[in-house]
Amino acid sequence: MNRIFATPRTTPRPSLLPTPRLGWYVLFALGIGLVALAVYAYSVQLERGDIVTGMRDLGRGGAAWGMYIAMYVYLVGVSFAGITVASIARLFKLHVLEPVTRLAELLTITALVAGAIAVLADLGRVDHGLRSLPELARPSSPFYGTFTLVVAGYLFSSVVAFFVTGRRDAARMVHDGPRVLRWFYRVWASGYRFTSEENARHGRTTFWLAITILPLLVVAHSTLGFIFGLQAGRPGWYSALQAPSFIVLAGASGIGMLILAAVTLRRMLGLRIPDASIHWLGGFLWVLCLVYLYFTIVEELTATYAGPALDRHVAHTIVTGQFSRSFVVAVGCLFVGFFVPFLQYLRAKPSVTGIAIAAAFVNVGALVKRLLIVVPSQTNGAYLALEEGHYSPSWIEWALLAGTASLVLVMVLGFARIFPLVHGEEPDVDRDAPLPRDPIRKLACLLWAAIAVALVFVGLTDSFRLWSGDELDPRIPFAPAIFATGVMMLFATAIVYEVLPSRRRRKRSPRIVDLARTRAAPRVALPAPIRATERHHRSQP
Amino acid sequence: MSSDRRTFLRGLVALPVLGALPHEARAATPPGRRRHWGMAIDLDRCAACNACSVACREENNVPSFGADPRFDGARPEWMSLLWQEPERPEGLPELLPLPCMHCEDPPCVKVCPVGATYKDPDGITMQIWDRCIGCRYCMVACPYSRRSFNWSEPTWTESEQQMLNPDVATRPHGVVEKCTFCHHRVRALCERARLEGRDLRDDEVRRLPACAAACPADAITFGDLEDPESEVSELAASPRAFRLLEHLGTKPSVYYLKKERG
Repeated sequence: MNRIFATPRTTPRPSLLPTPRLGWYVLFALGIGLVALAVYAYSVQLERGDIVTGMRDLGRGGAAWGMYIAMYVYLVGVSFAGITVASIARLFKLHVLEPVTRLAELLTITALVAGAIAVLADLGRVDHGLRSLPELARPSSPFYGTFTLVVAGYLFSSVVAFFVTGRRDAARMVHDGPRVLRWFYRVWASGYRFTSEENARHGRTTFWLAITILPLLVVAHSTLGFIFGLQAGRPGWYSALQAPSFIVLAGASGIGMLILAAVTLRRMLGLRIPDASIHWLGGFLWVLCLVYLYFTIVEELTATYAGPALDRHVAHTIVTGQFSRSFVVAVGCLFVGFFVPFLQYLRAKPSVTGIAIAAAFVNVGALVKRLLIVVPSQTNGAYLALEEGHYSPSWIEWALLAGTASLVLVMVLGFARIFPLVHGEEPDVDRDAPLPRDPIRKLACLLWAAIAVALVFVGLTDSFRLWSGDELDPRIPFAPAIFATGVMMLFATAIVYEVLPSRRRRKRSPRIVDLARTRAAPRVALPAPIRATERHHRSQP
Repeated sequence: MSSDRRTFLRGLVALPVLGALPHEARAATPPGRRRHWGMAIDLDRCAACNACSVACREENNVPSFGADPRFDGARPEWMSLLWQEPERPEGLPELLPLPCMHCEDPPCVKVCPVGATYKDPDGITMQIWDRCIGCRYCMVACPYSRRSFNWSEPTWTESEQQMLNPDVATRPHGVVEKCTFCHHRVRALCERARLEGRDLRDDEVRRLPACAAACPADAITFGDLEDPESEVSELAASPRAFRLLEHLGTKPSVYYLKKERG
């Protein structure tokens, strides 16, 4: 034995991964079951066609978009929470949010994946979609932002942030995680050592990632609003308020889902998420709900008081007509989402359960409100006196709704079993700490970023057909994919900066005491006689 | 102004290496005079016999899906008659035969994410069936609701199969379809005129689309709106002429004629 410290066999090292309780197994099984049901439902839709859904042609008694698009918009909204919370926590050093940042980032990634599945389920020809969009997507369509900025940029930047911020815990898990997954932790840690140099570099990376992701977040959520807000031919949609109200409702549903996930996982897995984090999120929730309720009042008042006849008609249909019940449910749920956390905010000792219940209400309200945005303008918003429509989702759509939501659940629950969802104790990150000169790293990052910018420039300009004029196709094959790759590479610069090993030999950087590992694995000094014996053995040839 | 900016940007960004790239996708612009195909529908003549929509269905292989109630609201229509009584929007007549409006500034073209629908150089809003991914964005963007989605794989009886028009491709499940002003007929006629070395005559195009050809009241006139001598141009300039939903700025290529509106 050539170590001075050893772990005594009598005190087993507590695992960084929580032990699941019965509720975890029940929820996980339920989630898997619902995902399986959704897969079956989608196979039926593929086999028999979209006629199995409740959607029909516009102007002939139906709505061409329904539950899938509402679900897609809702799920992308849920993804809002992750990046916002993580970025706010890092930029403003809000330590109270640190315990939920990884869960928030995970929620972003899983919700975006599920959202992409929801929109793919909506496509009449999913195979053509997957082939044509990277090749031919046009920026004149508001969907372009969805496919490039949301799916490629937003999702990938979240993955990069998730990867970079998880390296430290992955390095811990190389030693403390399950043996079968150590290769996974090793890949994720990608050579992370607890040195002060890496710590300073990590601080810089996370800060700049947070700075760059926030504007992307606003753009990505605005593009969703533009899908509806830019349609002059659809009364009820054409509004400058669509983009900002999409961002606010995305925030409310996302923060609500984060609260629900945090409270549920705390109970099921015993995650160390303090009440203070939930209280802070509850405060954010009531502010967002209040702002959205204000937007709703302004929107309906403008449309009903002085709007054009058809905007008035659609607004009346929503508030007092065919959709009034759904409207009451949506507004009622959002009001609960404001009122209950607001009461908790006023109380000296807020209730976590109350905030969690309000968060559940907010999510129901947000989903119904998304449906109210998508459907009435189609069924009741025709300029010509076409047949008024009706839309009620079929069981296939309900199954896919449950399946996509369950996919988020299954991914979060599953991930919680293989990786710590609450950060281990972090050393104070100081992005201003001096770093030794590293010209190779700097050059590699600059080169990488320059290539990324060039790809963004070439891909975007050719997507706009600036070089090909009125031609139908971009001049460079797969120009939209090149643009998306450039955006992804730009964010991947953070990985290059962090992961690139230093080739220059220099004095070893001092190691930081890893408090989490020290606490998780208490090490004791061997008694003096044994140490003396060891020294004696080592001195022997 | 915007064209200047585009030219400037194009010149700025076009790298020499890009000039060497293959350039096969350029849309073929026919030599000579530019056309703008349009239609005039005289509502004072229309007898609401529905012959136009039946002829359109036959000509363009539009599936009917029989009487199956599951297909209510899911039967494609390229040309249909719209009765607007009793709650019609102000200023609109009670009866409207509705083909695609082939707008000059079509919202459906702007929103298509893959360029499956585009403006033909001759003003026809075309749809490439094979490119359509079935997102239905064009359907929700069209203020006239003139697009149909194939909610299921079209089925044809044996007798229907024998009557399918070989000049028009049938569309599979999952794509959006619409009126093309019988583009295949227009193209064939243009080709014949080109081979004969002559220009198209107004009298040979004025009843070219199937709906116009089938109309017993001679209410539908087709032609080149760019040609001031054409009958359709004269009708479009008539004081009786109007276009649908002009306030939206889509500039439809279909004109309606009616003595007293509303």
